Amino acid sequence: MTTADPSHGLFAGRLLICLGPGGVGKTTVSAALALSAAMAGRRVDVMTVDPAPRLLDALGLAHEDGAELREVPLAGLAASSGAADLSDLLDSADLSGVADSSNVVERGGARRRPAGGAGRLRALRLDPKRTFDAIVARHAPSPAAADAILQNRLYRNLSQALAGVGDYMAMERLLELSDNPTTGLVVLDTPPAREALDFLDAPRRLLDLLKSRAVTLLGGGMRRGFSVVDIAARAVLSAFDRLTGLHLLGDVQAFVRSFDGMYAGFAERAARAQKLLAADATAVVVITTVEPERTAQAHEFIVALRTAGIEPRAVIVNRMLPAMPPAEEIARARLAPALRRKLARAAQEFAALHAREAAAIASLRAGLPAALKLLAVPDLGREPAELTDLARLGQSLAIL
Amino acid sequence: MAIARLILVTGKGGTGKSTVAAALALCLARRRPTLLVDLDQRRWAARMLGIEPTSDSAGGVAESPAPNGKGAAAIANLAAISLSADAELQAFIERLVPIKAVARRMLQSRTFGYVSAALPGLEAFLMLERLRIVAGQAALEDRYVVVDAPATGSALELLAVPGALEQIAPLGTLNRLAANVESFLADGSRFAVMLTLTPQELALREALEASDILRGRLNVSVAAAALNCVAHRLFSRSELGALGAHPECQRMAQWRTGAGGCAARARRAASRAALKVIELPMLFSPAMGRAELEELSRVLSARLFPPTSARPAPAARSAKSE
Repeated sequence: MTTADPSHGLFAGRLLICLGPGGVGKTTVSAALALSAAMAGRRVDVMTVDPAPRLLDALGLAHEDGAELREVPLAGLAASSGAADLSDLLDSADLSGVADSSNVVERGGARRRPAGGAGRLRALRLDPKRTFDAIVARHAPSPAAADAILQNRLYRNLSQALAGVGDYMAMERLLELSDNPTTGLVVLDTPPAREALDFLDAPRRLLDLLKSRAVTLLGGGMRRGFSVVDIAARAVLSAFDRLTGLHLLGDVQAFVRSFDGMYAGFAERAARAQKLLAADATAVVVITTVEPERTAQAHEFIVALRTAGIEPRAVIVNRMLPAMPPAEEIARARLAPALRRKLARAAQEFAALHAREAAAIASLRAGLPAALKLLAVPDLGREPAELTDLARLGQSLAIL
Repeated sequence: MAIARLILVTGKGGTGKSTVAAALALCLARRRPTLLVDLDQRRWAARMLGIEPTSDSAGGVAESPAPNGKGAAAIANLAAISLSADAELQAFIERLVPIKAVARRMLQSRTFGYVSAALPGLEAFLMLERLRIVAGQAALEDRYVVVDAPATGSALELLAVPGALEQIAPLGTLNRLAANVESFLADGSRFAVMLTLTPQELALREALEASDILRGRLNVSVAAAALNCVAHRLFSRSELGALGAHPECQRMAQWRTGAGGCAARARRAASRAALKVIELPMLFSPAMGRAELEELSRVLSARLFPPTSARPAPAARSAKSE
């Protein structure tokens, strides 16, 4: 293991997207990465889309209204977390032209600024419903049109349930954050997804939906050129309405009609989001843990990303066992027999889990391109609850 | 202790949901034929057990308990199926549109895909309706059903769907169906949730919140909370202190102490919340295989069917209520 460059180039760009299956500590790792980047002098915003206030919890902002950006106090972190190495986090060559390049901590010299002095960290939690409401208000042709949508029964039930809305709203907030010239790096936690591309694909899917013939079909009356299938879909809907008592068709039509004037605005935003995701300054990392279920999923994610032409920058394996002294060293210590037996047992237990972990890493690596970096984040032995915990995590990123 | 006909296992991601579901299925299969149901197509619980689920969700329920395994080792009394929202929607549309060709073309059309996606919770509801049918059938055949469900957040959303549907559709077929599903979910002899957690702060909090929502707003019974990965304390405080002179040893002892997490607090908090806690040991073994699952299933068995109550007769009781 080496820790020569603790950031492994992850903080050099403008956007860092953390993907991964649920339950791997994605939120924690993104917060830790964001904090490290901020402590290294970058001006960072981190957004979590997880509705549970876990990230804000770890950042000490649990009691605040998490949907708005809040500054995270970095003061006092430098001393406890070895700021001396942090200048290595930055590759200043990659930062030319980046808005916060003036804040780059000078490398290698004695004139380093204390961490937290130049950098900045702000955090927020995505509220998809609120974001969607704001978009409707912004793009609707008139206040009355906006009201009509906001009051629509379908919209009210659907603004969160509609496939991909949460992902799309994350994208929308991301555009806002990256528009801010005072922000150097945006770190993005993503909704727990079954598929890697669910998130990255969100703008295209929403556009597809809005462009689809379902919209014309349902929005307007019957026009020319509909296939029997479309008519059948409409027939099924009305049959469904009759049978179920839902009377949805009218609502669906009204919903779709009210989006009529909003298409252009959506299309423009989605196109910009797509461009941002494909930019060179955007890095994607896949986060996982060593459980076989998660590594299998992480592997699927990576394959899907690469198939889509996105080369992940690294795989981050969270909650790795910490490094331990060799068992012989422990056996040599002069201790009371009872304590020695206990230690021997602990060492044996550790060795078993270590073997399990090593096998998992080996099988994960076997399926990945050799050039793809595997980075380890150690398990702290408890939930990271404070900034110092996050700082420790961020700084112990090590190549596996 | 009376065991619900169908037990849905959910918990925070990373707390061993699938592991517990697999172990529970093994445990129940020792007493009666048991069906392991996977809701998200990853089939991890079944894969851990090395059995091959049938993926036909509409008709697969009544099929033989023997897994249709190619190379998959059969486990006595244990079968697995996998439900998918798509298949449920398809079955539903085919019921609604009796002309097969039309139904098929409709399902293939992108247009219809968007339309059905726009019907709130329909697919989720159809999954629950299927679970209700599966549980009913299991009651007739005296089987148990274990559901490996998605993580807490999604599971709670899923279980809230019938209530929401009843409000959206105040009359008609769907209302009636939703009411049926709701009363199925509220019937502790037919349906119960098993929550999984680990002795970690966030997992504990999520389990307690979930239990509140389940028992309160959703009116669902929580059979137990499986406290997974419990490592009993090995080093006393004074021993940890005594190791100060041997930093390497102390690090090892501290690691082992940290591995125990907050089990004691989890135990207390759960009992305050009137949750039945079943502790499952952390298994310090180099692999998580069949032998490990068997070990966990024996622990579950001892807690769910304590030897003192020799004839728990859970089947008789739940059959009566149906």
